[in-house]
Amino acid sequence: MVIRLKPTITLPVLVFLATLTAGNSIIAQEIGNYEPEKTWDGNPDLNGIWQAIGTAHWDLQDHEASAGLPVMGAIGSVPPGQGVVIGGEIPYQEWALGKKQENWTNRLAADPETKCYLPGVPRATYLPHPFQVLQGTDKIMIVYGFAEANRTIHMDKENPEPPPLDTWMGRSHGSWEGNTLVVDAQGFNGEAWFDRAGNFASSALRVTERYTPISPDALLYEATIEDPTVFTRPWQIRMPIYRRLETNARVVEYKCVEFSEEILYGHLMKKEEE
Amino acid sequence: MKRRTTFTTIFTNTTKFGSRLFIFLSCLVFPFAVSAATSHHIHIALSNTSEAVSWYEEHLNCEAIAGRADAVNCANTEIEFFLGQTVGGSQGTGVDHIAFSIPDLDAKMAELESVGVRGSGVRLLRFEDGSLVRDIPGLFKIAFITDPWGTKIELVQDEDLLGFHHIHLNSTDPTAALDWYSQVLGGEPASLKGMLDGVLFDDIWLLATEYTDGRPGITQGRTIDHIGFEVADLDEAAVQMNRLAVEFRQDPMVPDNARSSAKQAFILGPDGVMIAVVESGWAGIEREVVAAGSTESAELYVVPRTPWGEPDLQGIWTADAAHGIPLQRGIDVAGTNELTPEEAAARRERGTLSSIWGYDREWRDTTLGYVKSAPSTQVAMVIDPPNGQLPETTAKYKAAVADAPPRIPPQRARTPVDLGTYVRCITRGPVGMMMPSIYNNGLQILQSPGNVAIQKEMIHETRIISTEPREGFGEGLKTWLGDSHGRWEGDTLVIEVRNLNGRTSYLGSSEAMKLTQRFTRTGPTTLEYQFTVEDPAVWTEPWTGMFNFIRDDSQYELVEYACHEGNYGMTNTLSAARTIDARQAEAAANEE
Repeated sequence: MVIRLKPTITLPVLVFLATLTAGNSIIAQEIGNYEPEKTWDGNPDLNGIWQAIGTAHWDLQDHEASAGLPVMGAIGSVPPGQGVVIGGEIPYQEWALGKKQENWTNRLAADPETKCYLPGVPRATYLPHPFQVLQGTDKIMIVYGFAEANRTIHMDKENPEPPPLDTWMGRSHGSWEGNTLVVDAQGFNGEAWFDRAGNFASSALRVTERYTPISPDALLYEATIEDPTVFTRPWQIRMPIYRRLETNARVVEYKCVEFSEEILYGHLMKKEEE
Repeated sequence: MKRRTTFTTIFTNTTKFGSRLFIFLSCLVFPFAVSAATSHHIHIALSNTSEAVSWYEEHLNCEAIAGRADAVNCANTEIEFFLGQTVGGSQGTGVDHIAFSIPDLDAKMAELESVGVRGSGVRLLRFEDGSLVRDIPGLFKIAFITDPWGTKIELVQDEDLLGFHHIHLNSTDPTAALDWYSQVLGGEPASLKGMLDGVLFDDIWLLATEYTDGRPGITQGRTIDHIGFEVADLDEAAVQMNRLAVEFRQDPMVPDNARSSAKQAFILGPDGVMIAVVESGWAGIEREVVAAGSTESAELYVVPRTPWGEPDLQGIWTADAAHGIPLQRGIDVAGTNELTPEEAAARRERGTLSSIWGYDREWRDTTLGYVKSAPSTQVAMVIDPPNGQLPETTAKYKAAVADAPPRIPPQRARTPVDLGTYVRCITRGPVGMMMPSIYNNGLQILQSPGNVAIQKEMIHETRIISTEPREGFGEGLKTWLGDSHGRWEGDTLVIEVRNLNGRTSYLGSSEAMKLTQRFTRTGPTTLEYQFTVEDPAVWTEPWTGMFNFIRDDSQYELVEYACHEGNYGMTNTLSAARTIDARQAEAAANEE
């Protein structure tokens, strides 16, 4: 059973929340001032290739530098980073915190990213790969640079339709609130993680995303995460997303399956005799 | 060179060649209002060709010809239109484009730009820096457009020669091609403004550019179907041409429904250019053909536009109806171009049902939506070569196949690599990914200005194709599905795929394959898809396949085909193979 809520996080609330975390307050101030370019239908033009910069893909929360696989040396190590969770805390239920810690311990084998699995939402947004937004007439498509992931955001449905089945990337319905694209994403299969630190949700996950242009080359990305089976209350992340400015910027096809086969099937392979 | 001069002299002296040129534009995608199962003969309202006449009158100052609704006269060059199904625009064929000279090119382009594609159907082609007009020092200003039917047109500002200006050929050997036209058709070799070698027919230029990307496409079936030359006495000219070993595709004759008693012949020029040679007095052919057993007029299908003016291909399409069409024509259908609906239904039962293993019919017909569209009556996918068979493979390819090690069967697979990229959920490859599959046949197309996303449901792959010229990948970057370069040729989305990594093969195709894909809406629910494979390492000729996707927005939605994520088959297959290994090792140990 999925409980459908109207998006309740409005702009003034976010501005207020932004002031709680000093690093993000400048972003919040800019929201009100910037008037973005518009597409043919008068809505903000989000078309283009975007990418998050930062370390949210390693860990949504504050994290210190740490070692990776010894064989990879400094290349595989985890850079330190400031968290993107508003208020800093992910409000896990007690059992879920234990599960998150278990994920952390087993992360090399258990992280779906290691296995080249679809990244889910919101993780797809801030993986260290570009993604492209295409605004069509009734739909918006986001094509991600990792694992051939993509989403169709239905802009033409009066009411959200139940997904035909639970999936990694869920089902997305969108609407415009002023200059903000608000996307309601549900219908997840509960397999995806949020980051390489093992943060996770269940199939009851509902993500309400807000994409707001704050300059010609940056969007503010905000996501409210609700999952009553895993968390004690809804919580939010926020980060800017930047336009890729290279004149030849592309989401280059990246098929990672073959790089995961050793991990997944290595024990079943017949290797050439040494 | 001496030899050529001699021939030219003899030729012009004896045959008195005229220099009137004809350009035959097969101008419209055939407006199928009914399913492809009906006869090819359809009653066609003459207003269709009239539309082309009006367009050339309005935008290129051509004049209508009295008594003919299918031709215009552009400064003594006649452009004749006829209805037919085209397989794409003119660009890249042996006749790349035609050119008109305009007194004030900047003003003309500004005018066309302000009218816009929705107003006039004209599509402006921009240079890589985004500009519309380029000034070539010493020559003149040039610009490129296409007409609404995909004919590439160059506009030049050459005050010395206004009106119809030149025909521009693509050739693997421009010098030889120009020599051929000069020898066979009597043109005068000359240099345009001392900069470009060409052949002059009266005051119309024939120019040629070297084509380096394999061979140019054959003109027949494209928007510039053929070019024509007029002679006084065709029989006499034919004798001369035969002496020059010219390849005749049709001997001189008065065609059925010709409007005059003038004869026409067809010859094949260099680089796949089809050439008509006609006698003085030629007035075209009455092409209005009445369908046998049908009195219904086919309505002209106008491809809808996106709000920003591009042909609108968006929506959910499926290839369910096309599943079961064999790639090549079978011997059992040698005498026909279409199956009857009953035969098509029987083919589906035979092919599709048996290929979905033990899945039951109800699941197939409900969940998979097979009852939504009638099975295609198409005999084979291959439409070129016209016999429906793939061309001969090269000797080198045959030798490589003979020398190839035997394939390892799945039950002995050592690693996933032995099982192929489809089983590994990597890709079905650039050709294979579009092919109809037994299930999950969805195709979603979404467009934003200048971009088309093509998403295939089966193992979920999405390509983003820019329809604006863009910098391609360098030599150092090759991918499974390659680098797609898109453009609109009239209503057709043309995609050229380059930079393939060659790690997937379609029936033996190599890394050198050049794939050209064409998507055209031919009706409210029909999206025609054509794919041309050029791979000189494997096939001696390019070949083209075609099938239709059927629109199914109302009930179909692409589901997430999380192939790799649920690839239990891989685990099971490898684990079975290791079990077999272990048993064999055990048996071998026991024998010792």
